[in-house]
Amino acid sequence: MSGHKHNEPESDIALRVKAMEQLLTEKGIVETNAIDLVADYFENKVGPRNGARVVARAWCDADYKARLLADASPAIAELGYSGLQGEDMVVLENTPQVHNVIVCTLCSCYPWPVLGLPPTWYKSPPYRARIVREPRAVLAEFGLEVADDVEVRVWDSSAEIRYMVLPMAPEESAGKSEEELVDLVSRDGMIGVAAH
Amino acid sequence: MGELTAERLAQIIEAGHSHRREGDGSEPRFDEGQTVRTINHHPSGHTRLPRYAMGRTGTVVRNQGIFAFAHTNARGEGECPQYCYAVRFKGSELWGNAAHEQDAVILDLWESYLETP
Amino acid sequence: MDGIHDIGGMHGFGPVEREENEPVFHADWERRAFGVEFFTGSRIGTNGDQSRHAIERLPADVYLTASYYEKWMLALQTLLEETGTLSRAEIEARMAELANEETDHG
Repeated sequence: MSGHKHNEPESDIALRVKAMEQLLTEKGIVETNAIDLVADYFENKVGPRNGARVVARAWCDADYKARLLADASPAIAELGYSGLQGEDMVVLENTPQVHNVIVCTLCSCYPWPVLGLPPTWYKSPPYRARIVREPRAVLAEFGLEVADDVEVRVWDSSAEIRYMVLPMAPEESAGKSEEELVDLVSRDGMIGVAAH
Repeated sequence: MGELTAERLAQIIEAGHSHRREGDGSEPRFDEGQTVRTINHHPSGHTRLPRYAMGRTGTVVRNQGIFAFAHTNARGEGECPQYCYAVRFKGSELWGNAAHEQDAVILDLWESYLETP
Repeated sequence: MDGIHDIGGMHGFGPVEREENEPVFHADWERRAFGVEFFTGSRIGTNGDQSRHAIERLPADVYLTASYYEKWMLALQTLLEETGTLSRAEIEARMAELANEETDHG
C-alpha cells in the first residue's frame, strides 16, 4: 500500500502532499483522522459490488428494473446506495439493438455510490479522447466486438447526471439466484466496456 | 468542529450534495425530440460544452431537469440554475465520414449552450 | 477554455492501458491527497466547479505528465494561493524542512 520505503527519498509529490496536509492541519482546515476515515470509506465501503447488486436485482425483478430505468437514484437507494457523485443517476439499458458506454471527456465524472472511485484508465487521456470518436475500436481492445447493426451510444457525462450501464443478462445467468448473479456482473460491464 | 466519526462521515457522503435545483417556474425552451444546435463559443474560462460538440446539430432525447450551471458557478458568478438536456449527436455529425453510421454520442447540455437551428 | 483537458476526439494518445486488480489508491500519498482534497474546498469557500477549472488551468505539459492525484494537488495549491490560504512558497518551504528531516533521520 504505502509506496515509501525507508532510506529512499520521498517523491516530490509525496512530500508536497505531506507538507500541504501539515500546513492545512495547523490552520484547522483538515484533520488527520478525517483524512484516514474518508480514504477508508472509498477503499472499503463503496465499489463495483454495489452496482453489481443493483444489476442482479434488475435481472431478477422486472418491477425493480422498471423503477430503476424510470428514476434510478431512488431505486438504487432501495438497496442502500446513495450519495456523492450519484445524487442524480440515470441507468442505461443495453438491448440487442443498443450498446451503451460511459465516459467523462472533460474530467473524470463517475458514479461513486455504485462503482466506487474510477480506475486510472477511465480517467486517462487515451480513453477519454478515443471512446467518443472510435468507440468500436476501443471496445474491441477491451475484448468486446459490437455487431455492425447494433447502435453504440456513448454517454459523455458533461453535466451533473451520473450514468451506469445495465448490461444484458448473459446466457449463463439462467436458473441462478440473485446472489449468484452478482458474481457475473463486472465493473467494466457497468461502464459499458464489457458485455456484462 | 467535533471529532468526525466513521458513521458521521458515511452519513455525509451518503446524503450527497445534489446540484438539482427548483426552477423559477419557467418552461423548458426545448422539448424531447426537438432538433437543437450547440453554440460555437470558445470562452477562456470553464465550459461544459466540449470543443468536439461546439456548433453541432443534435436531438434532445431527455430533459434532465434544472441544475446549477457549472459554467457560471466556476466563475464565482452564482448557480444560475437552468434546464439541462441529454442531446444525441450522430457520430457523422461530430466526426464526418470516419464515424460508424450506427454510432452516437449523447452529452448533457445546459440550456445556455443550445439554440434553435 | 480550449485547454488540454478538453481531449474528446483527439488523436495521438495511443492504446488504453489497463492495470489488473488495480488498487483504489496506489500509494499512501494518494490516500492523503484524496482526503485533503475532499475536505479543503468547502473549508476555503471554493466549489467543485472551481476545483475542476483549477485542474483545467494547469499548464498543458503538466496536465499530460502529472498523475491524476498529482493534478488534484497542484490545482488545490492554485486555489489555496488564490484564496490567500497558503502560498506556494510556504508549501515548498515545508517540503524542504520535511526533506531535511528525512535526511537527518534516514
